[in-house]
Amino acid sequence: MKRKIVSILLLVLGAVGPPARTADPIAPSSGVTPVFERDIRPIFRAYCLDCHGAAKKKKGSLDLRLARLTRLGGKSGAAIVPGEPARSLLLKRVREGEMPPGEIRLDSEKIAVLERWIAGGAKTSGPEPDTIGEGIGITAHERDFWSLQPIVRSPVPSVDDPRARTDIDAFVVNAMPDGLSLSPDARPLTLLLRASFDLTGLPPDHDVVDEFLADPSDAAYERLVDRLLSSPAFGERWSRHWLDVAGYADSEGGSNRDGIRPWAYKYRDYVIRSMGHDVPLDRFLTEQLAGDELAGTKDGDWTERQIELLTATGFLRMAADGTRDRNSSEFRNAVVADTLKIVSSSLLGFSLACAQCHDHRYDPILQTDYYAVRAIFEPALDWKSWRTPEQRGVSLYTRADRQAAERIESQAQTLAREKEAKQSRYMAEALTKELEKYEAPLRGSLRRAYETPAGKRTEEDNALLKRYPSVNLHPGVLYQYDQKAADDLKTYDKRIADVRATKPAEEFVRALTEPPAHTPTTFRFHRGDHREPREAVSPGTLTALSPVGAGRAVLPGNDANLPTTGRRLAFARWLSSEHNPTTARVLANRIWMHLFGRGLVATPSDFGKLGSKPTHPELLDALALSLYESGWSLKRSLRSIMLSTVYRQSSRRDPDRDTIDRSNLYYWRQSVRRLDAEVVRDRMLAVTAKLGRSLWGPAVAVTEDETGQVLVPPGTRRRSVYVQSRRSQPVALLEVFDAPVMVTNCERRSSSTVATQSLMLLNGAFVLEQAAALADRARREAVDIVNAPILAGVEVDVALSKIDTPPILAQAATAWQLAYQRPAGREELRLAASFLRRQIDTLTRSPRKLPGARGPTEQAISNLCHMLLVSNEFLYVE
Amino acid sequence: MSNDSRDASVRDPDHPLLSGNVSRRRFLTANAMGIGAVALASLLRRDGLLARERFRNSDPVEHESRGPHFAPRANAMISLFQHGGPSHVDLLDPKPELTRLHGKEYSDEVQYSFINRASKKLLGSPWEFRRHGESGTPVSELLPHLSEIVDDICVLRSMHTGANGHEVSIRYFHGGIPGVLGRPTIGSWLTYGLGSASDSLPSYMVLTDPGGPPVDGTHNWSNGFMPPLFRGTVLRPKEPRILNLNPPAYLRGDLQRQSLDFLRELNERHLDRNPAEEDLEARIASYELAARMQSAALEALDYSKESEATKKLYGLDDSTTRDYGTRCLLARRLVERGVRFVQLFHSGQPWDNHSNIRGSLASICKRTDKPVVALVKDLKQRGLLDTTLVHWGGEIGRLPVTENHGKPGKVGRDHNGQGFTMWLAGGGIRGGTGYGETDEFGHRAVVDRLTPNDYQATVLRLFGLDHDNLVYEHNGRQQEITAGRSARVVEEILA
Repeated sequence: MKRKIVSILLLVLGAVGPPARTADPIAPSSGVTPVFERDIRPIFRAYCLDCHGAAKKKKGSLDLRLARLTRLGGKSGAAIVPGEPARSLLLKRVREGEMPPGEIRLDSEKIAVLERWIAGGAKTSGPEPDTIGEGIGITAHERDFWSLQPIVRSPVPSVDDPRARTDIDAFVVNAMPDGLSLSPDARPLTLLLRASFDLTGLPPDHDVVDEFLADPSDAAYERLVDRLLSSPAFGERWSRHWLDVAGYADSEGGSNRDGIRPWAYKYRDYVIRSMGHDVPLDRFLTEQLAGDELAGTKDGDWTERQIELLTATGFLRMAADGTRDRNSSEFRNAVVADTLKIVSSSLLGFSLACAQCHDHRYDPILQTDYYAVRAIFEPALDWKSWRTPEQRGVSLYTRADRQAAERIESQAQTLAREKEAKQSRYMAEALTKELEKYEAPLRGSLRRAYETPAGKRTEEDNALLKRYPSVNLHPGVLYQYDQKAADDLKTYDKRIADVRATKPAEEFVRALTEPPAHTPTTFRFHRGDHREPREAVSPGTLTALSPVGAGRAVLPGNDANLPTTGRRLAFARWLSSEHNPTTARVLANRIWMHLFGRGLVATPSDFGKLGSKPTHPELLDALALSLYESGWSLKRSLRSIMLSTVYRQSSRRDPDRDTIDRSNLYYWRQSVRRLDAEVVRDRMLAVTAKLGRSLWGPAVAVTEDETGQVLVPPGTRRRSVYVQSRRSQPVALLEVFDAPVMVTNCERRSSSTVATQSLMLLNGAFVLEQAAALADRARREAVDIVNAPILAGVEVDVALSKIDTPPILAQAATAWQLAYQRPAGREELRLAASFLRRQIDTLTRSPRKLPGARGPTEQAISNLCHMLLVSNEFLYVE
Repeated sequence: MSNDSRDASVRDPDHPLLSGNVSRRRFLTANAMGIGAVALASLLRRDGLLARERFRNSDPVEHESRGPHFAPRANAMISLFQHGGPSHVDLLDPKPELTRLHGKEYSDEVQYSFINRASKKLLGSPWEFRRHGESGTPVSELLPHLSEIVDDICVLRSMHTGANGHEVSIRYFHGGIPGVLGRPTIGSWLTYGLGSASDSLPSYMVLTDPGGPPVDGTHNWSNGFMPPLFRGTVLRPKEPRILNLNPPAYLRGDLQRQSLDFLRELNERHLDRNPAEEDLEARIASYELAARMQSAALEALDYSKESEATKKLYGLDDSTTRDYGTRCLLARRLVERGVRFVQLFHSGQPWDNHSNIRGSLASICKRTDKPVVALVKDLKQRGLLDTTLVHWGGEIGRLPVTENHGKPGKVGRDHNGQGFTMWLAGGGIRGGTGYGETDEFGHRAVVDRLTPNDYQATVLRLFGLDHDNLVYEHNGRQQEITAGRSARVVEEILA
């Protein structure tokens, strides 16, 4: 019982990893004397340097960027007296809560470190520079952080464990403390289900099950993994992981209207195709960041390849964009900021956003770094000459399409002219008829008044027309004079519309492009406020990831070899180059996370000081290196992890090992994982044989039931990845199981257990429909196993065995097989039999109107199927 | 309030900070709707007590008997959120100088939201103010019922968000940072910090308006970066009040009970094959909770057996007050049954009186004054007010100058986030008091200025929580409701 609390904590928070350790500062009570660079500057950086270091003008003339400047002090005198905490002003101010100003306080631990640093003589770890430039800058110590280091190849440890199959196993086993070792392999069916859901998000087909269970050898397992990797469902499943971090949505957001993005699906399909074809990940990210730059200019029609490349840049168009509704500077800049957040959290592993307003408080990211990265995107996302979502769409009309459209339009125009000519003739005839009611000369005056254009009529004309309003003929009253003429005109409207409808449909790509020769200057915004631009900043990468001493690596401002600036292309190439260690690590970590429920770094989008540190740094680097060496192949990377014993082992807990490592941080077992929201829905459709397998295409529009609950339209067969994900209309079934509702993007899903899920599963219309469908299927297919050996010996109830054809118990057994991909056990069938008995009794005793003209037996089976579909065995993979 | 800590422990046996002994089953069931142990663990971690949890899980239970940060005064809260910006100078913050200079040009600078309809002509309140109660609190004639309970409420007249926009300030009040989405609301933080006091109802519930959603929609009860567990459960304004609460009629009763028994057997067998997997245990408990909720929620929402006197008190006999009155009454019934946080919303923003303030402000006052006051009176007579905090307020106030000047029948007031009023009652608030002041025109808060962060810190304090130490780890960062922004507990208004 006692242990529950911590593990429940993990349960509720989802895949929360170990708590963040900020740097590796000395433990508060350790005997080690603190030094400035390692222990003090991080405190100053977080709490003090905004006023006492970052800006040119320092409050009270106090500069805390160096130990010697701290000693020197400011207007109030020396801030510290080495060796004498009691006489140190800084310590006094901090203790008394005067500093930092406002409500934020240093905790007692940090104050104790300050005190021991002063008491120990205010030491530094090395000599300090004689001069110091402006700003907080980045020190050698800060650069020393693990995620900024080059990827290192560690020798594969030799381990003495016969269970270890691969290098991955060796790294994991080597890191285990005494008392832990790899668990036995999971049972074949468990492993098969695990691999199938991990790679395809669907249960395995029956022939796959039969084949693998007949021969669950290592070689057969390899074949199985390959088979799953080449399934079209693989691209659908793995695209979802990337779409989460990309912030994919089928609506614009950014305003209450939340307009639909009709063409976003083409980007989703691009991701599905790329994953399915195992497009190398470096190419995949380059296309998404700079597809338009690779595509070059349009020469005649867009080629297929160009369209693919433009579609890829949809990645940079996923941020919420409310500028169609409010095209203000504020909204435009919000789009830019969100796009940078998506790029940095998906590919860099640093939350750049913190550096938008000031130098990062914890990580060595300068405010100018933020704007250098912003400068990469500004030619395409220029807030000063903005294009709204509608203005950004790239038309896929070909020259032939356009010509055809023009030809058709001219046909329509011909018809329109014909109609107009007829109309004036009919109107003239009608006028003559009308005027017959009047005598000359009034008749002549009325005709003149009517035929004079409205603006040129004299007062007399107007008075006349007002007095005789029926002369004011318009086409709407033509039928009163000549029904046939009116009918004739009406046929034209339809004919014109029919002709126009034959134009080729115009499709668009949601792309990011640069206007030709557009090189706006990017400015640093003081406190992140676009109304306060300061100095210009050139495009570049992060200072901390640039060679030491060289300053920030600058990217070309305008590549002469490209029609575009080439900034994003250069950035993309830098990301996947050996100069940048972060992107390969981030991707390797995400791959691992999706196979184990937790990354080697538990914070997949924050590899900074506030993020988690890797539990297995050597393994993480080995996986990152193998990405480079495998040609950035996602499938090869997955394959090598899935062939390891670490992946294949059983998920069973063990009391002894739990005492050592309850959270399984050492991977001594696999984890029990709840299926993701989409997989829950897809699995239900799959077992009822209601799942369509067609790939790609426009999003399935969501709908609302009479209670306002957002649903996938009943009867929809498509996989969940194709269901419209609208920010303001999340599908209730998916949302309740933690599918993201995009604000910006989703770095990691939580996995919650709440009563609203139970209510949804027990009473929701979708699940009830699937239960009935599973019952129908079980009834249809039960003949196949009516004489199955499993039924022999289940002597539950003679009466029951005679109910229905095929026998009701055979239907139950079939439902079991369909839902769980395994036969029911005898004890389970006994349970089922007694359940069915009670249900049929109740239904017979108190008859009620059942939907779909079901009888008591069918309803009982449907209820049995319902419980199978909402049971833990169905919702979790072991 | 002398005995409220005993009251709290009686009413709230699962309060993780008060109870030293939580049974496992109780823990799991409570957890399914929102348990405090999560917060407990986080609180303790902040104190460094769980440092060992990193690679080798220790037992945190030994620390369980540590008290909350402070002695809690409140254990439930009802927030009556008034979208749109109630006009404080016409309701609770009288300005004689504004009345005296009515029609004159205002000399100070004004930030308008609707510049095309703006003027600088001062607009004295068209309504009379009188002092009421022993406290002599001034109340406008628009709120005749409120004047009866002024000695129970504390009027905060120096609220300030600094921004005039609706969404910016709404999000500031709910989530702690002006304009920022994606953060948990104050209801999430309270339920996260304190857990559920009911084993059959969600701990954070929202009562919406039959007319439609409030401005900013579902963001008003977002769980932000916390798990969905901490999102407000919306009670719909009409049946079914909770979605999916009940099975279709043909499955109700014995049939579903048998199904649930069968399901439990399936799940127990599955658990035997995966022993000690908490996630699986929690889901078993969650089904049990769902089953209990089906009857508990129905009972809680069925107010037909309330006495005629009570129904009358809330104005259920009058079509003007029936809707808001019903929701106020439901709020009381929920809090009585252990729901931790209940929030009421209007459709759209009825207090956004840009135009025809004489008509539109009077109308929303008529619809709400009586029910709101009934709620406070009813809580008091049932002995619940001592431990139930009631909040009334919007996200902004209104300007002292005239919008649509020179257009009779269209005169109104534009937004004002620089100074406005809200009130609190019960739950450890000192009644019959006021706090803070705006300038002589009611334009800007000038004395004891308060921000939404101060409000949040004060609310948390009343629940025994320290806003700085109630933390939630998100992406490796420790988050607080006030997001590290300056915030202070308004000690002066605590009883």
